[in-house]
Amino acid sequence: MLLGYALSPFGHHPDAWRQARDGRLLGFDALLDQVSAAETAGFDFVLLADRVGLRPVDDLSSVAVPFEPTLLASALATRVKRIGIVAAAVTAQHEPYNLARRFASLDLITKGRAGWMVVADGADAAREREYVDVVKTLWDSFEDDAFVYDKVAGRFFDPSKMHIAHHSRTHFSVRGPLNVNRSPQGRPVMAHLLDGGNDTLAFETGELLLLQARAAEDLVRTAGRTIKAIESAGRRREDIRILASIGPVIASAAQDMNERLELSGEDRTAQPLLATRLLGTPRMIVDQLQELKAVADLDGFTILPPTLEMGQRFVADVVPEFRQRGLINDGSDATLRDRLRLARPVHPAVSLREVSR
Amino acid sequence: MSRSRMKLGAFLMAGGHHIAAWRHPDAYAQAGSDIDHFIALAQIAERGKFDMIFIEDAAAIRERDPELASQAARSTAFEPLSLLAAIAVNTSHVGLVATASTSYTEPYGLARSFAALDQLSGGRAGWNLVTSASELEAENFAASGLRSHSQRYERAEEFADAALALWDGVEDGAYLLSNGEAFADRSRLHPVHRHGKHFSVDGILESPRSPQGRPIMVQAGASDVGKDLAARTADVVFTASQTKAEAQAYYADVRARLGKYGRGHGDLKVMPGISPIIGATEEEAKAKYRALQDLIPDAVGVALLASYLSIEDLSAYPLDGPLPEMPPTNLIQSRQQLIIDLGKREGLSIRELARHFAGARGHWQVVGTPIQIADAMEERFADGAADGFNVMAPLFPSGLEDFVTLVVPELQRRGIFREEYEGTTLRTNLGVAQPGKS
Repeated sequence: MLLGYALSPFGHHPDAWRQARDGRLLGFDALLDQVSAAETAGFDFVLLADRVGLRPVDDLSSVAVPFEPTLLASALATRVKRIGIVAAAVTAQHEPYNLARRFASLDLITKGRAGWMVVADGADAAREREYVDVVKTLWDSFEDDAFVYDKVAGRFFDPSKMHIAHHSRTHFSVRGPLNVNRSPQGRPVMAHLLDGGNDTLAFETGELLLLQARAAEDLVRTAGRTIKAIESAGRRREDIRILASIGPVIASAAQDMNERLELSGEDRTAQPLLATRLLGTPRMIVDQLQELKAVADLDGFTILPPTLEMGQRFVADVVPEFRQRGLINDGSDATLRDRLRLARPVHPAVSLREVSR
Repeated sequence: MSRSRMKLGAFLMAGGHHIAAWRHPDAYAQAGSDIDHFIALAQIAERGKFDMIFIEDAAAIRERDPELASQAARSTAFEPLSLLAAIAVNTSHVGLVATASTSYTEPYGLARSFAALDQLSGGRAGWNLVTSASELEAENFAASGLRSHSQRYERAEEFADAALALWDGVEDGAYLLSNGEAFADRSRLHPVHRHGKHFSVDGILESPRSPQGRPIMVQAGASDVGKDLAARTADVVFTASQTKAEAQAYYADVRARLGKYGRGHGDLKVMPGISPIIGATEEEAKAKYRALQDLIPDAVGVALLASYLSIEDLSAYPLDGPLPEMPPTNLIQSRQQLIIDLGKREGLSIRELARHFAGARGHWQVVGTPIQIADAMEERFADGAADGFNVMAPLFPSGLEDFVTLVVPELQRRGIFREEYEGTTLRTNLGVAQPGKS
């Protein structure tokens, strides 16, 4: 079972900050504490979703991380050593060359644990598809074994293994090559949050698909539609990881369930991320997640703790239940791709050579 | 006393500033893609009480010809902000200055990124504003090609103002948590709504106000418009000057422009580059220099020289002959002139100029003992040529380590460099005023 942890300074409930009332929670050290706890618990990745690309116009948001996500990811990378780091970045806010550099750099800094959560503008599907193509082409600027570091010959890399993009189509004109070394995992993992709108880009190019729905029944339907859509796009189910977003409300016993119910009520303001609320004791929650995973054909879940306390209880009480059932990956996988059991992409030039052989 | 202590920056670059550094037997060839190497360098600089580390940038490979690119370690690098974000949480006092272009980014994203770096570092971020003069960069962003020098600076002026406004958009104490009534105190928020010729910026940065008021602004412009932009907006200018007279002229020129913008002489620190090659004896230093120079492939040196001169190709001209006459371009005018002047002044051939520039890339090179290097720095510092220096070690980590263990103590002994950091923000250590506070 794959597990992601969605980071938020106070928790994902819009009113969570009222309980916490502590400005230090917005700081790097407090966020690092959350991520370290998730790493120790055995989570596969942390999701830095921010406001999912919504630019604040006149006010501050209590659910946004006060750091640009890709830079927060870089900072976290040297302080946690195993957990994957998936950061959101909006295509409308970065030139493709700049974005490709950020994530290629992040993959080097994380030593192969980086993922890009693609936040695209659904209104212009052709532009977004071209954008992703440019980024992938730039990430393929160098083959895996291009860098030879031959001091005596004065050869830093093998020029025949450098590929200049020369991309020039409708929306973008990018010469390339990217001026960053090849990613340790070939290419960073590409994640998408499915919003039920135009998700074609995710179906065609996404590797880690994050589903969200208010109710469990909707999740099952969304998962079914998603699997159909990726297969129609000519891709195989086993090449894609599908996770659903869950907001757990944990009660140690039935008697304090009532006070927890307060947290499960409808949100007063819109949340950036949507999650299916699951209520219950740790054992009940794991039972429900296992059932949901089987029924909806999921690979796992992204956990959105409604409050920090709920996050801590999930780590302390629910994760051991997972572990007891053998559902946690305690292996020593080096890269995020390895943890997600996603294959390393073969460089297009290498596949071409193999075909022509 | 702002004149009594010099400022020091450590200009970091993979295996070293020398173009052939990565080929040196002591060099760590993979340095450029190893985050742990850079963190170690930043920690050495911090041990030496440097004001800041500095990372340059180009949003493109630096050679059009793959054959040439493949011989240069500078062909690939970390994106500077990503690199400094990782360094920020592994250091505590040293300033972190990243280069970023106003031509190929937008004010909101850039201001947000520097605000993040500033928060991550507790107020140690600086932005080296560049306008990106290379064709290869232009080709990564648009079919329209490179903008002219004046168009780039017009955009840069508007960009800088938008970034400053965004950083000033959230006052101290804007985040209200303790009363539980509202998350933000709206009276302390000043959302930016600017609609100029180049940008439309609507919004507020989701970040508390910088611990140093705003990130430090750095520039290296040496053209007239560049110097004016620096005089108006920068806290630090980097510059390349070969001789003391050139450095003094630049220093006087930039300072003379400050009054126009209501700023005092102490508000802008002028920091020329220095490339120190340090030996226990003068002979040892010279031998170190020769060993590095011998590693420069002629093709790489001449191509680098051509790029500084903004001309396509120098290979048609005899290597042992002088530079051809050339017309001014709209690119980096100042550095081009510096090279032409040096060639004429010292009667250097293309090969000699190429090697000379490949070594320190147009910056001031000092080869000698720690005392000789300290003497040279002190002289320029005392004679109105510099407020401090951006130190470009030829080889990393050894060149920086030598500077910190041999030259820094000598500067401290003379009372012209700090023994301890004055504070934890870059602004405090530089001793430049916080905006909005006198």
